[in-house]
Amino acid sequence: MSGATGNPYRIYRITWVILLIITVAMLAAEALHLPRIFLILFLLSFMMVKAAMIGGNFMHLRYERPSLALMVAGGILITSLILYSFLSREFGYISRHLSQ
Amino acid sequence: MHSSSDAAVMEAHWGGGAAPFGASWQKTMMWIFIVTDGLLFSGLLCGYAFLRHISPVPWPRQSEVFSIPFIALMTFILITSSMTMGTAVTAARLGDRPRAIRNLAFTVFGGLCFLGCQAYEWSHLIHEGARLTSNPWGPPQFAQTFFVLTGFHGSHVFSGLVILIITLIRTLMGKTPAQGVEMAGLYWHFVDLVWVFIFTLFYLL
Repeated sequence: MSGATGNPYRIYRITWVILLIITVAMLAAEALHLPRIFLILFLLSFMMVKAAMIGGNFMHLRYERPSLALMVAGGILITSLILYSFLSREFGYISRHLSQ
Repeated sequence: MHSSSDAAVMEAHWGGGAAPFGASWQKTMMWIFIVTDGLLFSGLLCGYAFLRHISPVPWPRQSEVFSIPFIALMTFILITSSMTMGTAVTAARLGDRPRAIRNLAFTVFGGLCFLGCQAYEWSHLIHEGARLTSNPWGPPQFAQTFFVLTGFHGSHVFSGLVILIITLIRTLMGKTPAQGVEMAGLYWHFVDLVWVFIFTLFYLL
């Protein structure tokens, strides 16, 4: 799991600081009332960066085999997209039958 | 046609055998559990997004319902506890038992603080009239999704705390190997990871 030289705990402190900075930036973006589309893009991008940092540095996925990282990230992401698309289809089906 | 080097790479990464992911069976099983648990939260978040999308009544502005600085404090607590957990895992791996114990104790303290904050937030909102069937701010789905999402996450924090306390006690007794601390750490980081999504998608967007 260790690919770093020197202080082995440093990576956690750096990750922690970056996560805090990103969180503050996200809160500032929400407080500034940015245009909705910019706010969505900004927050979703930073959310993914935070998730990648936690997965990569805290959970050590960056030191694992690509197959494991792919199973975790790809599996959840793809299944979520499929699930959401099924929800949309299902809602259209139900609402059509209810209105008949 | 694959070259022999391509074949070697494919064999290394997808070859299966006793350790298809190059990890111990404990770690592999933990990751499979995390993926399935991640799918549970993915389903809940997709359901939330969908309910919000089809809601005929405008969704309330979160900053008018929740204290965002308070939620930010909860986020800070969870991120900090993840940092101490990571330190505990590495300390256990390096055989630095006092540091591992100290950081495990900090992580448990952080988890308790987070649960206390969540209990306060729940009681505050219930006092203001939030129920599973209605709420004073908008469509009923707003409070429903709030209670379901944060409730499921809170139950995971609680079970994570139980695992951490057991790991801490066993580490104090010298009974937990480094891998045991690492498994507990993976679960705790997962709890933090889920909060990143809930914080952004439910509280900020």
